Amino acid sequence: MGGLISYFRGLLGSREMRILILGLDGAGKTTILYRLQVGEVVTTIPTIGFNVEQVTYKNLKFQVWDLGGQTSIRPYWRCYYSNTDAIIYVVDSADKDRIGISKDELLYMLREEELAGAILLVLANKQDIEGCLSVAEVHQALGLDALKNRTFQIFKTSATKGEGLDQAMDWLSNVLQSKK
Amino acid sequence: MTDSKYFTTTKKGEIFELKSELNNDKKEKKKEAVKKVIASMTVGKDVSALFPDVVNCMQTDNLELKKLVYLYLMNYAKSQPDMAIMAVNTFVKDCEDSNPLIRALAVRTMGCIRVDKITEYLCEPLRKCLKDEDPYVRKTAAVCVAKLYDISSSMVEDQGFLDQLKDLLSDSNPMVVANAVAALSEINEASASGQPLVELNSATINKLLTALNECTEWGQVFILDSLANYTPKDEREAQSICERITPRLAHANAAVVLSAIKVLMKLLEILSSDSDFCATLTKKLAPPLVTLLSSEPEVQYVALRNINLIVQKRPDILKHEMKVFFVKYNDPIYVKLEKLDIMIRLANQSNIAQVLSELKEYATEVDVDFVRKAVRAIGRCAIKVEPSAERCVSTLLELIQTKVNYVVQEAIVVIKDIFRKYPNKYESIISTLCENLDTLDEPEARASMVWIIGEYAERIDNADELLDSFLEGFQDENAQVQLQLLTAVVKLFLKRPADTQELVQHVLSLATQDSDNPDLRDRGFIYWRLLSTDPAAAKEVVLADKPLISEETDLLEPTLLDELICHISSLASVYHKPPTAFVEGRSAGVRKSLPNRVAESDSNNHHEATVIPNQESLIGDLLSMDIGAPMPPVVPSAAPTSNIDLLSGGLDILLGGGPPAADPIGTTGLLGDIFGLNTTTNTMVSVPKITWLPAEKGKGLEIQGTFARRGGHVFMDMTFTNKAMQAMNGFAIQLNKNSFGLVPGAPLQVPSLPPSQTAEVSLQLNATGPVQRMEPINNLQIAVKNNVDVFYFACLVHGHTLFAEDGQLDKRVFLSTWKEIPAANEVQYNLHGIVGNADAVAARMTANNVFTIAKRNVEGQDMLYQSLKLENNVWVLLELKLAPGSSEGTLSLKSRSVEVAQMIFTAYDIIIKSS
Repeated sequence: MGGLISYFRGLLGSREMRILILGLDGAGKTTILYRLQVGEVVTTIPTIGFNVEQVTYKNLKFQVWDLGGQTSIRPYWRCYYSNTDAIIYVVDSADKDRIGISKDELLYMLREEELAGAILLVLANKQDIEGCLSVAEVHQALGLDALKNRTFQIFKTSATKGEGLDQAMDWLSNVLQSKK
Repeated sequence: MTDSKYFTTTKKGEIFELKSELNNDKKEKKKEAVKKVIASMTVGKDVSALFPDVVNCMQTDNLELKKLVYLYLMNYAKSQPDMAIMAVNTFVKDCEDSNPLIRALAVRTMGCIRVDKITEYLCEPLRKCLKDEDPYVRKTAAVCVAKLYDISSSMVEDQGFLDQLKDLLSDSNPMVVANAVAALSEINEASASGQPLVELNSATINKLLTALNECTEWGQVFILDSLANYTPKDEREAQSICERITPRLAHANAAVVLSAIKVLMKLLEILSSDSDFCATLTKKLAPPLVTLLSSEPEVQYVALRNINLIVQKRPDILKHEMKVFFVKYNDPIYVKLEKLDIMIRLANQSNIAQVLSELKEYATEVDVDFVRKAVRAIGRCAIKVEPSAERCVSTLLELIQTKVNYVVQEAIVVIKDIFRKYPNKYESIISTLCENLDTLDEPEARASMVWIIGEYAERIDNADELLDSFLEGFQDENAQVQLQLLTAVVKLFLKRPADTQELVQHVLSLATQDSDNPDLRDRGFIYWRLLSTDPAAAKEVVLADKPLISEETDLLEPTLLDELICHISSLASVYHKPPTAFVEGRSAGVRKSLPNRVAESDSNNHHEATVIPNQESLIGDLLSMDIGAPMPPVVPSAAPTSNIDLLSGGLDILLGGGPPAADPIGTTGLLGDIFGLNTTTNTMVSVPKITWLPAEKGKGLEIQGTFARRGGHVFMDMTFTNKAMQAMNGFAIQLNKNSFGLVPGAPLQVPSLPPSQTAEVSLQLNATGPVQRMEPINNLQIAVKNNVDVFYFACLVHGHTLFAEDGQLDKRVFLSTWKEIPAANEVQYNLHGIVGNADAVAARMTANNVFTIAKRNVEGQDMLYQSLKLENNVWVLLELKLAPGSSEGTLSLKSRSVEVAQMIFTAYDIIIKSS
């Protein structure tokens, strides 16, 4: 019965998926958001607060929330957790110094009850920069091996060049669709 | 089960419902929810818990929803300062929206969010909006700068917003100009230093005047108000401003009219009063004021309060408009009372008949307060317009015949004043007054009646009986009446000692033994003592001539009046109080004052002496300085050849380099040695006398004067000229409290002055008196009394006469003091027209007690380091930079009391130009 309803809903495509883009400041969250929405690289300034945009990807509607990553804003991420379908966690692969902090923030976030059912998509961003960590290294550094009971995947991307985002979104939309 | 369950949040209730609605996907639902939240907020429910949820609705393309969220933010950002940061990004985005309405809305709301943490993020968007292509956004941003200044003044100054705001004054859109002006004047008023941060110059004034014709009425008010703060550089500019403002007088909005009048009133101060232009302008001011009186009562009241000020400042404007101030039967009481006040101020010989018949009419009205005021008004007319006194008194008598209790009582109170003003003229009516003795039940009326009986006891046969009847209920009387009774009985006794001894003893014992009132007891004891020791002295004291009462009893103090004129069309002009008296937190602001008339070119930089009109509070002040005290015997001879006089005054003039006298030069040198003065070529600078009190203001007495320094003392050198038809004598002088505590060192020695005679006087001043800060610092208010009247005027003490002889600082002390005094206390000044080289200047300075500590030559320029000490022990350190061969110089001054700077610069100007 429930399956039938969600089948129809899927056909109509009515419900918007709620997606959060999180990550440390300067990881490239806002750039990714607008790359997804308008397909272009826009100049951004540090997001003090949030951006929210409608993104349509392969007939799926997403309501994407991009939250500022500065230390002062991180405490308010939790205000946005409820009803979230997926989290895009963006990591600056070139920022080796702060990858540890990034890991802590990620783990701290995943402990939240409200996010128990959310799908996790990790983007190892800024792969275009020389000397950055590889996907495997990011995977390692974030301790993703230890994750249990979570649908997740990691992709390497470069938001400014537009590389890797399509594969990541393909994966995400597939997972979300199949979940219904 | 513990009680903790009560504290666990149940996921029920209104807030929770609203929360889930706010997170609804459907836009309509969201909007509904935000509306509900706003509704709760408006009725006072605390919905701050929903802050994050409401903020999340902020990024929307729906303008209505956005406005609602902004409204919520303005209200709750303060209670959620940390969380408010989440709204910043949306503001930044909205300030770049394609819709100008949204850009303006965002910048306006940002200015209303007073949270320190997010203020810094608002600068960039604000900067962009100030340069926006849309005027609506620019004008909103202009106001936002003023709001930001209130939150963080330093940010506005550091980020260059003031300059941007100044640029907006030349904007092409008049509304932007108006808002920029409004913002700038608010910033200027709020500036912590009290000094305006942005000064207007004639170019910007021109732009404002152009914008004035095109913007909305409230924009016009802003522009006019800031024009009122501008002082034109000369009369021509003032005239052209007047001409361009005058059309505003015909505006339909009362605020525009009043603001225009304010500007014109200020400019009239600058225009020379005898010009045709001034006369026509004065004529143009009357009709708009009259028109204001046909609006609704509230506006009328505001207009009347302002007119009350205008009439006091410039009675000419409305002198022909008496009729419009006649009271209408249906005026509200507050309008009636105010009109009455203005009627009296306008009353003069030509219209008094009309006024009196009106007042008589009012005295028969039903409203008790109004009737009382009308009766008092009749009395005030009698005192103000002398030829009408007779008619006023007969009108009052008629009113007394009506036997209406409160009318009779008011009449008696004012008749007492009329008796004081015109002694020995209307005493025939006393019998009529006495008839009404029994009906008096108010203390003031009873006291007045008792005073009349005591004062005229010799003419009232049964005065003793009358007073005796009052004494029966002595204990129950008001203190005011008791005091009057005591005095009246003593007067009666002194006039008719034979049959009133018993009465006076009775009243003295009542006052001294049975009363708890210390005033009454003391007065009783004084009388008792006087009567028992020296009845003749008692007579002189108790029955002494009383000073005449002043004609204008309730005029505002002139400086206050001038300040209030600057605040026409504001609350201050309605309260008749300066804004500092009722606006909190603005005490640091500069008090406004009317501009001084631009000095004429030949007046040698001297301020004109200002004559202070007779004024009650001032009299009180001066009376406490015993001006009425008996004069010491006047030195009989004042002939300039007398040796005594030479020592006391004439020589002083000589030594000070005054007008050459006929004395042999040897005497001068000799006495100069005695005084230990340097009588080489460099002498103390003298400043020629200027007129302090013109004859027309001094009832024939003209005083010219100047200040000089001799033998370590400040002297006031004056020339008294009698231009009246009668002799003058009994001269005395008093100085009001001043910045340097100057008081006369000796009584004024002016001989009796026959008509058209002149006397030269030199008065030594000591700096030992009470100190009160004056503006300007060297302002000195003087009262001179003679047998005719007391005259008040003000003059400026020349700074160099205050330089003490021991003003030389040690080099090292100079150096360390210069370093110690903060840079904020340094003032610079440019000198022109310097005569002679550095050494000559230094020598001339030394002669005037400005001591050169060191001289250096730096890069071809002579630097003189100088010190001086003022009479009040204020040290001033100076650095004078002179370029050889040039007549220009730069002076830097450092002092802990930097307010003396202007005075010292003026003194330097005088010294440096002397040769």
